[in-house]
Amino acid sequence: MTFRQFAFNNVIRNKRLYAAYFLSSLFTVMVFFTFSIFANHPALSGNEMNANVTKGMNISAGIIYVFSFFFILYSMSSFLQSRKREFGLLMIQGMSMKQIRMMVFLENMVIGFFATLGGIFIGVVFAKGILLIAENVLIIESALPFYFPTQAIILTFASFIVLFFLISLFVTYVLRSKKLIELIKGNKISKGEPKSSLFLTLAAVILLVIGYTTALLAKGPVVVVVMLPVIVVVMVGTYLLFTQLSVYIIRRLRKKESIFWFKTNMLLFSDLAFRMKDNARTFFMVAMVSTVAFSAIGTLFGFQSFLTSGIKHVNATTFSYQSNEKESVKKDVEFINQTLKEEKIVADTEHMDMNYYDHANDTILITKSSDFNRFASLINEKQVKVPDGQVIVVEYEGPNMGQIRKPLDETIKLESGFTLKPGKDGVISSRALPASDTYYIVSDRDFEKLPNPVEVQSFYAWQVTDGEAGIMTASEKLYQHLERYKIFSVEYEIYEIMKFYGPILFVGLFIGIVFFVSAGSFLYFRLYMDLDEDKQKFSSISKMGLTEKELKKVLNRQTAILFFAPILVALVHGAVALTALSNLFSFNLFKESITVLGVFLMIQIIYFFIVRHFYTKQIKTVL
Amino acid sequence: MNKGYNGHKLKEMERKGELVMLNVKKVSKIYEGKIAYPALTDIDLTINEGEFVGIMGPSGSGKTTLLNMIATIDEPTTGEIVINGHNPHQLKKEALAKFRRRELGFVFQDFNLLHTLTVEENIVLPLTLDGKKVKEMKQKADDIAEKLGISSIMKKRTYEISGGQAQRAAVARAMIHGPKLLLADEPTGNLDSKSSRDVMEMLEAINKKERTTMMLVTHDAQAASYCNRVVFIRDGKFYSEIHRGDNRQAFFQKIIDTLSLMGGDAHDLSTIRV
Repeated sequence: MTFRQFAFNNVIRNKRLYAAYFLSSLFTVMVFFTFSIFANHPALSGNEMNANVTKGMNISAGIIYVFSFFFILYSMSSFLQSRKREFGLLMIQGMSMKQIRMMVFLENMVIGFFATLGGIFIGVVFAKGILLIAENVLIIESALPFYFPTQAIILTFASFIVLFFLISLFVTYVLRSKKLIELIKGNKISKGEPKSSLFLTLAAVILLVIGYTTALLAKGPVVVVVMLPVIVVVMVGTYLLFTQLSVYIIRRLRKKESIFWFKTNMLLFSDLAFRMKDNARTFFMVAMVSTVAFSAIGTLFGFQSFLTSGIKHVNATTFSYQSNEKESVKKDVEFINQTLKEEKIVADTEHMDMNYYDHANDTILITKSSDFNRFASLINEKQVKVPDGQVIVVEYEGPNMGQIRKPLDETIKLESGFTLKPGKDGVISSRALPASDTYYIVSDRDFEKLPNPVEVQSFYAWQVTDGEAGIMTASEKLYQHLERYKIFSVEYEIYEIMKFYGPILFVGLFIGIVFFVSAGSFLYFRLYMDLDEDKQKFSSISKMGLTEKELKKVLNRQTAILFFAPILVALVHGAVALTALSNLFSFNLFKESITVLGVFLMIQIIYFFIVRHFYTKQIKTVL
Repeated sequence: MNKGYNGHKLKEMERKGELVMLNVKKVSKIYEGKIAYPALTDIDLTINEGEFVGIMGPSGSGKTTLLNMIATIDEPTTGEIVINGHNPHQLKKEALAKFRRRELGFVFQDFNLLHTLTVEENIVLPLTLDGKKVKEMKQKADDIAEKLGISSIMKKRTYEISGGQAQRAAVARAMIHGPKLLLADEPTGNLDSKSSRDVMEMLEAINKKERTTMMLVTHDAQAASYCNRVVFIRDGKFYSEIHRGDNRQAFFQKIIDTLSLMGGDAHDLSTIRV
């Protein structure tokens, strides 16, 4: 047996011991690889917009690479931590530190090589799956075809062989100067319960409070200004939360014997305290990575619904036509009606002239109540009654794209000296007319008395009642034939936005998923590092008499804390971030935030149940 | 074991009004495998309340198998084990765990203390699992620590104490709930001779004062000489039984003689210390 054979066999024959580390590495490679498949996708490197996407993806690939480096390094160091005794044993047999370093180096290279190959293989399969989803769920017009990613394979293989080489070097450096006695005592000695200082504990609370309040109170453009400082403050706060506040709380609980000495609590808390140093680091990373995932996906979804809801809000009818070119109106409207007929679309239609008047250096839309009511009934909205001499204000409620809101309760005085007083019905909101601003309704009689309008727009609206299937084809024809600013089809506009936005959404979604799954893998790895220790512990307790119910209870809570403590923090972070975002756009993202965060929580819960099941099964094998 | 003798003795004891704490009836254990291996064959054993019984025999004689079955960790292939009137092997899993926790106490060769807990926390663990009141646990822990002379190390962690102290802590943990039967598996196996003596003297004292029934499985003739009675088994069968008189030293010599008569390997006697 040569030394190299020894190192090789050590890995091959200790499969289970190495499995956790190997799988984490393999998983990291897979993430990077699938990502670079998209970054190098031929379909995504065409026109200018896509070039930007590719650039963004390359930057992200870089970030993932750095992230992978730290993840694998961290996995490796905790893996070595659990093998201290083995090293001690080998040193007693006369192995020199140099040889141990050599062994670890070789082992790591063997694992790295196979993890890279395996990751690439599974990555190809995974990418195929993702592309199928992309085709079916998202609107990417020229659907991304599957291609054999030679470039990505070369890139991934080279990058990760280098990465494993660097980590192997780095780890052998870390292993230097460990005393034999420390190695042999191995994991019996606590890795050190981190000390908590009252000052830093308070700092954690204060930093988080400051960060949150600033983020929640900031309105409009201020959000952008405070974003970076808030992120830094919350990050430091989160780190202190896990390394200080949590330790502080566990210590307090430990001291309180009525809690600590109650049933299985003793087992649970003592382990928590014992492992807090490792856990704190993992919790922090998982919380931050998940927060990024939540915020990224939440932002993209929020932005999408921000864009589409604006369109839907302003335009209640299926088609509308608006023009001030009197000559062409008749011809255009005839063409529209003709097209609808060709596509077998049945629609109610209305027409009116929209009159704009001068008011305080701005033009405002004033409409007579009969016109308004006709359009209101077209979309089944309530009709209004306006008494003579009074006015009803229709407030604009859609997303704010930079309009200046006018005070709604003051008397309106037109340039020509005509005044309007708000009636007792005052302010209503309605989608009847496609205004992106506040407008006014007066009685028909008052309307006659108004001065000459400065501008008249001819407005037609169609509300489809039957033959919806033809809307897209009809829209396409209309958009081809008519000027873009005259015709408006809600469905077609949303389709256009989605077509433009689809790849961005997809990439963002993918990054989010990658980050979230990585976070899950961190937790899985953390849990399995303690498996042997837990097996030993529970086998000795069960000899004294631990019922299966009690065992399950302890394991359940232990796993739950591991899985949900960081995720709950991330959920709160994400909720705050998304609230700040909705403040920036003055657009309510509540529904989107709840959806995104809820979906992630669901995934985490499922993940928790799966991992708990297998962990409990593992522990039970030794009982 | 000679059945006639045992049955006779049982009746005799019942007449005297002594309670049978443990009754092992015709217990056999066969490990199934490619070649079925009989670890124990037709073992009979009776231990009365307050007795301190040692089980000895060469390596592979089936001592630990027997202990594990009495400890309810393992199940006999045939035969029956009755502890304090209950047959624990008929209990359901949950009830069995509670039975172990309340009726039995365990001392192991490698102490089996949890290194995430302090000595005191280790000692109260069985009570904690049963949901006892903190005040009661504290009281009991202090009492037993005082008796076993470990009051000064109660707040220490397990890696900060010596082997002898660790085994005392383990005994304290095994005793804190006042078990009916204390089972010790090579309790001196990891200890030096001075600590071994200390631990055995302590067990003897507990046996006398508290009248706790004890069963000890050991290689160590020195440790076995603290028992009232030593049962020898070889190749999974009963071999012989000797009783201690007033003189422990003479009993020790008798144990040595029996062991050499049995003809176990020489190294089985290497732990003999006088």
